[in-house]
Amino acid sequence: MSTTENPTSTPVRPLWQSASLPPGAPSNVQPPEGQDLITINFGPNHPSTHGVLRLIVTLDGEVVVGLDADIGYVHTGFEKNFEQKTYWKGIPYAPRMDYVAFFANELAYVHAVERLIEIDVPERARWIRTLFAELNRIHSHLIYLGTSGVELGAISLFFYCLRERDKVLDLFEMVTGVRMHDRYPQFGGVAEDLPKGFYAEARKFCDDMPRRIDEYIDLVAGNSIWIDRYQGIGCITPEMAIAMGLSGPNLRACGVPYDIRRATPYLVYDQLEFDVVTADKGDAYDRLMCRVKEMYESVKLIEQCLDSMPGGPVMSDDRKYVLPPRSELQTSMESLIHHFKLVTEGFRPPAGQLYEAIESPRGEFGCFLVSDGGPKPWRIHFRAPSFVSLQVTAMMSERRYIADLIAVVGSLDGVMGEADR
Amino acid sequence: MAVTPVSINKAVRVGDLEQYVMLTTVEKAIAWSSSNSIWPAGFGLACCAIEMMSLPSPRYDIARFGAEVFRSSPRQADLLIVSGRVAHKMAPAVRQVYDQMLVPKWVMAMGACSSSGGMFANYAILQGVDKIIPVDVHVPGCPPRPEAVVDGLMVIQKKIRAGIAPAYELEKSKA
Amino acid sequence: MSADELAAAVEAAVPGALEAHSDAADMPTLTVRRESLLDVCRHLRDALGRNFLSAVSAVDYLGYGEEVAGYFGTERGRDINRTGSWGSAETPEPMPHRFAVYYHLAHIDMTETAPPDRVRLRVWLDEGESVPSVVEIWPTADWHEREQYDLMGIEFSGHPNLKRLIMPSDWDGHPLRKDYPIGGEPVQFTDAI
Repeated sequence: MSTTENPTSTPVRPLWQSASLPPGAPSNVQPPEGQDLITINFGPNHPSTHGVLRLIVTLDGEVVVGLDADIGYVHTGFEKNFEQKTYWKGIPYAPRMDYVAFFANELAYVHAVERLIEIDVPERARWIRTLFAELNRIHSHLIYLGTSGVELGAISLFFYCLRERDKVLDLFEMVTGVRMHDRYPQFGGVAEDLPKGFYAEARKFCDDMPRRIDEYIDLVAGNSIWIDRYQGIGCITPEMAIAMGLSGPNLRACGVPYDIRRATPYLVYDQLEFDVVTADKGDAYDRLMCRVKEMYESVKLIEQCLDSMPGGPVMSDDRKYVLPPRSELQTSMESLIHHFKLVTEGFRPPAGQLYEAIESPRGEFGCFLVSDGGPKPWRIHFRAPSFVSLQVTAMMSERRYIADLIAVVGSLDGVMGEADR
Repeated sequence: MAVTPVSINKAVRVGDLEQYVMLTTVEKAIAWSSSNSIWPAGFGLACCAIEMMSLPSPRYDIARFGAEVFRSSPRQADLLIVSGRVAHKMAPAVRQVYDQMLVPKWVMAMGACSSSGGMFANYAILQGVDKIIPVDVHVPGCPPRPEAVVDGLMVIQKKIRAGIAPAYELEKSKA
Repeated sequence: MSADELAAAVEAAVPGALEAHSDAADMPTLTVRRESLLDVCRHLRDALGRNFLSAVSAVDYLGYGEEVAGYFGTERGRDINRTGSWGSAETPEPMPHRFAVYYHLAHIDMTETAPPDRVRLRVWLDEGESVPSVVEIWPTADWHEREQYDLMGIEFSGHPNLKRLIMPSDWDGHPLRKDYPIGGEPVQFTDAI
C-alpha cells in the first residue's frame, strides 16, 4: 500500500531500496512544496530519541517527507574543559562523553596521550584494558538491544538486557569501585590490579552469557513483528555508508569488514582470535544481528583474556609521568617530589599532534590531540561515531513511515552525549 | 496505622471499635496513597539516565515503591527526575516539561550535574537545575548508584507523608 | 606510503598545491594551500583511495608559543608565574597563522580488513578567511564543518547549510576559540586547578 486517495501524496519508498543523497545538504531532507504537509517536533524530550535529539519532521500523512536534525541539547563543552585541566585531571571527563561505552572514550584519550609521551604500558595492563574494553562492548550492545526493544514496544527485552547489564557492571565495580565512569585506564597502565575473586566471577559471567544471548536471539530474530519492523528499514549501500562516514557495526552490516581492532590492532587484539562480524543487506535488522553476534565475539575475547592474562605490574614505573605508589611517599624524597609535581603541575608531553582511533561499540572513536608542550592540552577534538551516524537519519527515513523513523534512529545506536560533546 | 485483621463474624461491641475501623485525616490518607504511587516522568538527559534506566530493572526495582511506570507525557507524571547535565540549550525544554506537569509535582535533581553543574563549570552547562525549577531533593553522585536514587525517592516519600509541601509551594511562601 | 611518496603523488597531480609535508608521529601530514584543497581532496579520494573522512578539526593557535598565553576574556590566564597555570618549560615554535583546519582521511577496503593508510591534511587560515567545503567530495563533512563553524567560527565556502549545529541558533560567539572565556559561574574554588 503506498498512496492514499490524495493524488499528491508521497509514495512510500519500497523495502530494500537504498538511501540516496538528498539534493542540497546531505544530512537533511527538504520537504517538497505545494502539498498538505504538517511539521512536527520530535524531541528533545521524547521516549525514544536516545537522549536529547530533536528532529523536525515534515509529514505527509504518516510518510516522512522532510527531516532536519537539531542536536546540541546536551552539549557540555568537553573539549574546552579538557583545555583547562592537566592531562591527568582530564581523565574523568573522558568517559562522560559516550556514557554508554565509557571505557572506549577513556581508552582513546589515554592511548593518544600515551603515544605522545611514548610511555611503555606493562603487558598485564594491556590485557586488563582489553578485557574491560570487551566487557564495555557487551554493556553497550545490551543497552542498545534493550532500548531497541522499548522503542518497538517489546519491553520485556529491556528487562532481560538490564539484568545482564547489571552483571557486567558488577564486574566493573569489583575492580574499579564504581559501576560507570571509572577512571580506570591511567597513563602508563591501569589504576589497580584485579582483585581476588574476579576471575571466578568473570568466568561465571562468560559461561552464562552465551546462553543469554541465545535467548535474546530467540526472542527477536524469529519474531514476525520484529522482522516486519526491522527488515528492509534504513537500507544503505556500502559506498554510501563509507561516503557518509559510518563505521563500526553500522558499516559492517553493509558488508564492509572494517574493524579497527583487526585493521590497526591496538592493545592486545593482534594476539587474540575473533571474527569480524558482517552482514550483507545494510538494513536495521542486519545492524541488530551484527551487534548481537559481536556480543558472542566479545565473550570469546574475554575468555581468552582470562586464560592468557600474564602476571606482572599493572602500572609503568616511569615516575616522570606516573604517580609513585603511596607507600613510597613516606620513605623516598624523590617520590614525594614527583608526586607533588605530577599532581599540581602535571607532566609536559612534547609539542605535536596526533590522532588516535579505536573501535568503540559505536564505530570509530577518534581523539585528535594537539599539544603545545605544556601541562594542559592545547586542543582536543573527539571524533564521535554517533555524531557522524546521525547524519544518515534523514536520508534513511525519507519517504518511509514515521514508525520506521523511530526504528532507524534506534538501529543507528547513537548516544547524544558523544554526538554533542 | 497498622491494624491486625480480625474476623467480624461475631457481634461487635462498641468498645472493640478501634480494632475494626481506622481513623485518620484526609490529608494523611492522601499523603499515604500519593507517596506510594509517585510516577516519574521519563526525562533522561545524559549518563544519569543510564543509571535511572536500571531503576525498574529486576535488581533495583522501584516498582515496589509504586514508581515503575515512567510516563512519557509529563501531564501524567508526578516526579521529574532531572537525570543528567542540563545544557543552556536544553533549559527551556526542561522548564516547559516542568510547567506541563500537573500539581502536586516533585523534582529530584539526580546527580552532580543537575544539582550544581557537576564537573562542568563552563559556558555550556546550567550550573544547577534549581536555577530554573524548584527542586525537592538532590541526589549526589556521578552517576549516583541506583540505590542512591531509590534513597532519594524514599526521602520524597517521607516528605509527602510528613505533610511537607512540594518545593514550588515552599518557594512561593519564601518569596 | 610515506609522506614523501604521498607528497610526490599529489604534486604530480595538482602542482603547487602543497606547502609542506612531514611524517608526524602517527600519519603523514600534508599542508595544503587553501585554493587547491578541493583538487587535492579529489585526487586523494579517486586516485589514492582515501574514501573515508574521519574528522574535520579546527585548531585555534592564538597565543601558541607565547610565554604568557591565556584566555583574554578572563583574569585567569596561562601566566607561568601564577599557581596552577604553568606554561611550557620550552616555548614551542609559534604557528604561522591563527587557525588550522585538519582533515583526517583513511582508506576503507570494501572486501577485506586492510590497514586504513591514514593521511592528515592541514590548511592554514587567518581570521576571516574561508576554506572551501569538501561536502561534495565526502558528504560526511556536512555536520563536521557545521560544528567547526559553530564552535570555531571557520567559514566553509560552498557548504549548502552552514548554520549553527551545537550551540543555540542565537548564540553569540564561537566557544572553542582561545579568546572566548570558559564561562560558568564563580564559586568558592573556581580558581583552583
